[in-house]
Amino acid sequence: MYFRLGWRNIWRNPRRTLVIMTAVIIGVWSMIFLGSLMRGIADQMVRNGIATLTGHIQVHHNGYRNDPVIENSMTDPEAVETALKRSLPPDSRWSSRVRVNAIASNARHSSGVTLVGIDPQRETKISFIGGAVIQGRYMNPDSRNGIVVGKALVDKFKTKLGRKLVLMSRDTDGEIASRAFRIVGIFNAETEATEKRFVFVTLPAAQQMLKLEKGISEVSVTLSSQQEVHQVAHDLRAGLPSDKYEIHTWQELLPLVTAVLKMYDGFIYLWFLVVFIAMGFGIVNTILMAVFERIREFGLLNALGMKPGWIIREVLTESFFLLILGMLIGNSLGFLSFFALSGNGIDLSSLAAGMEYFGMSRVIYPIIQGKDVVMANLVVFILGLVVSLYPAVKAARFTPVEALAHT
Amino acid sequence: MSIDIKMAWRNIWRNPRRSILTISAIAFASLLLVFMLSWQLGSYDTMINSVLKIHTGHLQVQAEGYKDKRSIRLVVPKPTAVSAILDKTPGVAAYTFRANAFSLVSSEERTYGAMVVGIDPAREVNISTLKKVVREGSYLSEEDTNKALVGELLAKNLQVGLGDELVVLGQGRDGSIAATVVKVKGIYSSGLDEFDRSSLHITLKNFQDVYTMHGAVHELVALGKSLEDVPEIKKAVATGIEKMDKKHRLVALDWMELMPGLIQGIKIDLVGGFIFYIILIVVVAFSILNTFLMAIFERKREFGVLMAIGTTPWRLTKLLLIESAIITMVGIVSGIIAGSLVTWYFQVHGIVISGASELMKQFGIPERMYPQLSVLSVSIGSGLVLVITFLTALYPALKVRRLRPVEAMRSV
Amino acid sequence: MNIVECTNVKKIYQQDKLEVRALNDVSLSIKKGDFIAIAGPSGSGKTTLLNIIGGLDVADSGRVLVDGNVLSTMSQTELATLRLRKVGFVFQAYNLILVLSALENVEFVMLLQGVPSSERRERAKAILDDVGLSDMYDRRPAELSGGQQQRVAVARAIVSNPSIVLADEPTANLDSKTGASLLEMMEHMNEKKHVTFIFSTHDKMVMNYAHRLVSLRDGQVVDDQVHER
Repeated sequence: MYFRLGWRNIWRNPRRTLVIMTAVIIGVWSMIFLGSLMRGIADQMVRNGIATLTGHIQVHHNGYRNDPVIENSMTDPEAVETALKRSLPPDSRWSSRVRVNAIASNARHSSGVTLVGIDPQRETKISFIGGAVIQGRYMNPDSRNGIVVGKALVDKFKTKLGRKLVLMSRDTDGEIASRAFRIVGIFNAETEATEKRFVFVTLPAAQQMLKLEKGISEVSVTLSSQQEVHQVAHDLRAGLPSDKYEIHTWQELLPLVTAVLKMYDGFIYLWFLVVFIAMGFGIVNTILMAVFERIREFGLLNALGMKPGWIIREVLTESFFLLILGMLIGNSLGFLSFFALSGNGIDLSSLAAGMEYFGMSRVIYPIIQGKDVVMANLVVFILGLVVSLYPAVKAARFTPVEALAHT
Repeated sequence: MSIDIKMAWRNIWRNPRRSILTISAIAFASLLLVFMLSWQLGSYDTMINSVLKIHTGHLQVQAEGYKDKRSIRLVVPKPTAVSAILDKTPGVAAYTFRANAFSLVSSEERTYGAMVVGIDPAREVNISTLKKVVREGSYLSEEDTNKALVGELLAKNLQVGLGDELVVLGQGRDGSIAATVVKVKGIYSSGLDEFDRSSLHITLKNFQDVYTMHGAVHELVALGKSLEDVPEIKKAVATGIEKMDKKHRLVALDWMELMPGLIQGIKIDLVGGFIFYIILIVVVAFSILNTFLMAIFERKREFGVLMAIGTTPWRLTKLLLIESAIITMVGIVSGIIAGSLVTWYFQVHGIVISGASELMKQFGIPERMYPQLSVLSVSIGSGLVLVITFLTALYPALKVRRLRPVEAMRSV
Repeated sequence: MNIVECTNVKKIYQQDKLEVRALNDVSLSIKKGDFIAIAGPSGSGKTTLLNIIGGLDVADSGRVLVDGNVLSTMSQTELATLRLRKVGFVFQAYNLILVLSALENVEFVMLLQGVPSSERRERAKAILDDVGLSDMYDRRPAELSGGQQQRVAVARAIVSNPSIVLADEPTANLDSKTGASLLEMMEHMNEKKHVTFIFSTHDKMVMNYAHRLVSLRDGQVVDDQVHER
């Protein structure tokens, strides 16, 4: 009964209802869609961070993170492997690396780089490098002197495939070890900084050059689901002696990304609130108009002995319909725009340098998060009803005399 | 006051509740925009200036190609010839000379690659914040030979402190081995990790000796009196250096060319901001459209009478537009006042975004941010609100022209 | 000289599926300076006729001439200008502008005509004095009685020296005494300013004031007589 009455009442003045509904629709749409864009940017940052040799969890020798030098290597990889096999969920992946700072140079140029020794087959499954080679080929496991370098580094060094590159770094004896590698592959990365910073050789080649024997710098682990990260990290910490090993999750490894995520969280909810306030004024005003137009009707109901509660419920039912309809359409449009853009993403290559400055990707793929959608709708729905209380209470208070005096 | 305006004003207050809600919506949007734009624009200035003053400066003169290749051979052979031009160029506040060489830097324990920068200590003070960010030890003086300022993170990586020795090994301009031992005189922390991790400063004289520069430098770094002067200076300098040595071509590069990411980053931030603002204003516009529409539906009869006594349709449109203009202006003005007060409060006290300071530091934004009220930040936002509200008011104001007096007067 | 000339005017309203012949072939000439009543029961077409003469409504066929202007060929803006210059309206429900005072209501018409403000004020005051409201300049319509409001309405209608004043049942909302004094005032204005008054009514008392009485029934003129004075 309420519902039928409320529904009919909002269509007494269809234009007015449509106008305010448009405000709700645009508001909800912007909440869903812009929210998904921001989530997309943030998610891409996390993905890039994780794929750029971070992984979900890393295992290092104690002290490596603060002082990433050759001395802080793990000399007993088998022990780590056993612990990993015990603690990791079956579908997770991991790979060992040697990772040290080095100087790369050729005849004309030199520059500081990070030398990464990888297990080519395992590495493909956990980081970006497997799919990033755009020229030449990816490393094969028994390549003794092949090296894969970034496009930006190649440009800077004015070199090309097949040319030599000399790497220098300190070995375990404290001596400068230097070794020439031949460029077999050139990779492309999301950011130029990555392309300039990392050079890849095979794990044995790096171990041999640095006299590490079986030693490794880090083990990077990716899990099939991010939810497990903390549990797995916890298990690993329990399984490995803490005086020898340190275990970090990506949140700890990428403090900047974590900070950005937190900031985006705050920003998205702030946006929800701001948009709501903007349409809240309209909702109150429109319902007020509707109520004042029917002041005689309400006064009459009041005179007939209708309880104020009934009138409040009646008015709230109207705003309920207004909100629900607006939300329904707004959500649909939000999801539609999301699907329209989720295929190809939004390409911002023209602003690549700026995106890189903020650590963003060149292409943004929107992502819809359940909690944002729920939050957006809750904000609109609950606050919408709350602000409608004002006109509703107003309507309930009309006295018959007032009502009749009003023309 | 003319009757038109008097009428409009009184009509607005026939329904004060509704008008106040509408004015509040407009004021809310203006307030938010004034504050946000003051913040955005303010942070850009701070960001640009703090980033540029760490190292880059407003404008640099370099050998052609040096920016990308960073080769030690690409030099400005006669720095005094260029400085003569800078001396003559109006708007230049200060300039200095620098030379850079990528080298291996080793402590007893560690070896890292780093950019060794030769600076003129006296001139550098006027260009960059280097002296101010020296947190330990002291800044270089003219006569210091074999003394160095080291970035905090580099010092940490190298595990050195004040007074410790570092071996620097690189390649000189002529291809010879350049090697020297320097003592850590100061440790600086600019906040920009990349800079603090990979640079080391010695005096220019020292640098020129070690790297056999023969008096040449790599960059002349200049600061204009303000950022706005930069294009003028660049033009003047570019024409000046064109007439010089044809064999060693020099170029003048402004900060946008030296740090393209910075300006593009700002563009992205601005564009992103405006997408949000415009959506916000459109939501507000639809929120208030009903008020404007109701103003005609409720008063159809009145308009009928006005038409009957000879008011032309245009005049009615004008009357309605005056009404919406008053509502809009009252809203915008109160929004601007409230927004300016809020902004001004934070301009004085600053805003700390808890937890984000690490993040801000990386983009060169100081921890405590100060929004900056300006003509631009106040006018852009309210201008947008004005335009969109006006368009909103136009629809009902033009719709009223379709009324016919007889029908209008018949309706209640 | 005829100030209004209607020739074979027809007007049909479509009400739902019913056709209402509001005016069925009405021809009427009105001389300048006349004080004329259109009488008839409700639904006889009085209001329609006044609206058409005043350019508020358009006839379906026939010719309407007001002070030499052919109304059927004029646009809305031209009609508005005509109403502004040549026609004054007085309505049954007064229809003053609620947010303006008595003086401002009268001034408003001159404002539309572009009369300079000092002259506006002078003339508005003079005319309000003429209609007997010299101490009520600043009252808003809500603070005036019905009779006073209607006097303001008459003042508003004649202040611009129109060729004709059309008054649709001007006394219907007033008691008979107030109505009579309003009519006396109108008659006085008719003589003093030589303004043509056309008013509609179904009230015998009002008809007695008219110098000429045109009776309408079912959209047709059934009687037209001149009262000797």
